[in-house]
Amino acid sequence: MSREEALRELGKQLHATPPAGLSDLSDDELDDLVEAVTDARHQQAAELHAAGEKAFAHIPRLLRGPIRKVMGA
Amino acid sequence: MSFEPLRSRAEVIKLARLLRREPGQLSYLERLPAEDVRALREQVTDLLFEAHDGTLQRLATSSRLLPVGVNAMISQHAFGPMLSARISGLLGPDRAVEIAAKLPSEFLADIAVELDPRRASDVIARMPAERVAEVTRELNRRDEYVTMGRFVGHLSGEALRASVAATDDAMLLRTAFVLEERERLDDLAELVGEDRIVGLAKVAEREQLWPEALDLLMSLDRDRVAEGLARMDSEQRELVERRAREQGVELPTVASEGAA
Repeated sequence: MSREEALRELGKQLHATPPAGLSDLSDDELDDLVEAVTDARHQQAAELHAAGEKAFAHIPRLLRGPIRKVMGA
Repeated sequence: MSFEPLRSRAEVIKLARLLRREPGQLSYLERLPAEDVRALREQVTDLLFEAHDGTLQRLATSSRLLPVGVNAMISQHAFGPMLSARISGLLGPDRAVEIAAKLPSEFLADIAVELDPRRASDVIARMPAERVAEVTRELNRRDEYVTMGRFVGHLSGEALRASVAATDDAMLLRTAFVLEERERLDDLAELVGEDRIVGLAKVAEREQLWPEALDLLMSLDRDRVAEGLARMDSEQRELVERRAREQGVELPTVASEGAA
């Protein structure tokens, strides 16, 4: 990705204009930063999904139905 | 002397934690002004905390159907620190504090590392002082001054006092240096007595923390610094004054006994 593309991609992910200083980074550094942000989002989504499943094992059986309803599961 | 590189490094440590990277992997960001790294970190924080807002909100809502003890168990054994940190600000402060009371300090320290204090400010402010002191000791043990620096601005006065008392001198210097709500530095400084200034100077020399020490000294009331310097023996005082000159910092003048 060129520097402009990487900055645009970062802005798209962040839903915000990245701080001006980032334009001093090299193309490779900006690529790495975009990858780090993307990875963090994916990792959080995966952990959230896994934790939801795991949580049910700790919930008393009687309450699992109402909880599933609230969760929309 | 510019403290900017040290501040940028502290910001990179915080951002790396958020992105699950080693700080060294993001070392290229240390070249940027600390303000830019901080702004980026806040943007990433907003992104991650809002990315699954709907799901997190439903988890928080469903947790109200469960007894506090079950919530604590789920937090520790299913959610883990990262998700617990994401949810804590959505639970309602009283409920969150009740759950926290059932969790071990080590796990609360894990959560603290992951938490965005801005989103859980009410929870932090209601944490009992003795619990805050326990978590502080754990963060102290882990050398987590970056986390402590993010929290100080959100602690109640009583909790801040307990936290400062539970913090060793080196940690206090590092924490004050990376403090996020700099306006709280006055409150922190208020808790640093003149006697402790002597100890801070010793630890600054031993652990090469002069930029951090001088930054804190410059934030203290100048009369108090002068009083602290006056309590030092001449050798100690000369050392502090020499280090201050080396760093380009002007300290208050001390009219010591026997001075020419």
